[in-house]
Parts: sequence; C-alpha cells; structure tokens
Amino acid sequence: MKVEIDNFSQFRIYPSKGRLFVRGDSKVFRFSTSKNESLFLQRKNPRKISWTVPYRRLHRKGITEEIAKKRSRKTVKHQRGIVGADMASILAKRNQTSQARVAQRTAAIQKAKSEKKEKESKKTKAPRAPTTAPKVSKQAKGGKGR
Amino acid sequence: MIGLKGTLNVIDNSGALLVECVNVLKQKVNNGWGGVGDEIVCVVKRARPVSPAAQASSTAVKVRKGDVRRAVIVRTKKAVRRPDGRMIRFDDNAAVLLNNKRDMLGTRIGGVVSADLRMKGWGKIVSIAPKVI
Repeated sequence: MKVEIDNFSQFRIYPSKGRLFVRGDSKVFRFSTSKNESLFLQRKNPRKISWTVPYRRLHRKGITEEIAKKRSRKTVKHQRGIVGADMASILAKRNQTSQARVAQRTAAIQKAKSEKKEKESKKTKAPRAPTTAPKVSKQAKGGKGR
Repeated sequence: MIGLKGTLNVIDNSGALLVECVNVLKQKVNNGWGGVGDEIVCVVKRARPVSPAAQASSTAVKVRKGDVRRAVIVRTKKAVRRPDGRMIRFDDNAAVLLNNKRDMLGTRIGGVVSADLRMKGWGKIVSIAPKVI
C-alpha cells in the first residue's frame, strides 16, 4: 500500500481516494480532492494558496516546534594543547600572577640593558683598529695615483 | 464515454488524425457509450496527406478521409475506475484503428494508453504502446 502525495497541496492520498489525471504530455498528476483538482486546472499557484503545504513551508508556518526541540544541543569546548606549547605550559602562563609578570619584565629589561652595555664596550674597542687601517691604505693609494 | 458523433484522436501511424464515432460495438447494446477498450465503428474525418509514392508501394495500409473503419478506444476524458479504487482520466479521447479482424492497422503508437486495455483483451496494443498508465 503506497500513500501518494497530492500534486497541488501535497496532502497524503490514501488508496481508493482521489483522482489521477494524465495530461496530454503524459505527465501524471494526483489529486486528493476535487478542490485540489479544480485549482490545479485553473492554474493557480499552490504557493499562494494559504492552506497548502507549499505555502506553509514557504511562509515557515508551524515549524517553530521543531526548531525549539533542536536548540537543546550545545557544543562543549575542550581545552587542548598545541604542538609548540603543551597543556601544562599553557596553564602555567595563564595562571601567572601579575606580580610575577612584572618581575619577569624587569628582569628581562635588566638583562637587555646589561647586554647592550657589553656590546657597546666591545664596539668602541673593536672599530678603532679597522678605522686606522683604511686611512693608511688611502694615503698610500693617493700617493701612487698622482 | 464515447457515443455517436464523438470525436477521437488517432494515435497510431495509420494516417488518420481524427475520427468520429458512428457506432459502439457492444454485445447487448448497439448504441450507448463506449469506454476504454471498447470497439467502435468510426469515420475518418481528417487524415494525413498520402503522397503518390506511398500510394504505389503500400506496405502499411494508409487511410484516407471518409473511410469507415473500426477502432478501439484507448484514452477517455471520462474517468475510469480501477480495481484498487483509483479514478484515472486523460486529457483527451484517443483511439487506435483496427481492421475487421481486430488487428491494428498502424504499426506504431505515439502516446500514452490506458492500462485498462489489457483487462479487456487488447494486450497487443498495450505491448506496442510507449507508455501505459
């Protein structure tokens, strides 16, 4: 037993109910009542006839119950570590107190300053040798060039 | 419900286009209404023009306007009831021409035919038909 659907209103057609219409182009249409049949033959658009299923779907009538059921699903977020930083280090960083961070920052600054000083002292010693060397070569070159 | 003066489209390739019913051949009643699967006597009202070349060599019998032939009704606009309770109706009335011995005149059928033909004993027509509903 197959329950067909109406070609106009999409109602269900049970066996021995309704009519079947074969159009000139061999297309088959099923109607559950003469009301559907008449409107179909008048070439009415089911999407504009408010009691049909196409209209209700188009205007989203009576669907709110289905949507309300589905909303109870919520995705739960899981904390995961990444390749570079595993879970423990992430937690450690997050749970650092602000004091600890400040202390870290000042330590880093101190370190940078000391390093910079060392660099400068090295620089002042080092470039003296190379600056004298080119002077000598230039003088020599100048003498030859004349 | 085809009766006297009822017109039917011819859907085989016998050459006729439109036939008009003259008599419904049913056993008990001479007049009355013909439905799907009933034999009728009809007059060819409109036929396809027969070219002189086809006249000379006629492998397929060509029918001309004014011929009186027999036909079987294959489609009716009036709804027919199926055993499972469905009502089926077509968009027009159609027939297939026959000779006096219930053989088809044409060789091909173009269009849908009703499946009620099989129940009335026209299995040959049903087997040739492209679509049966």
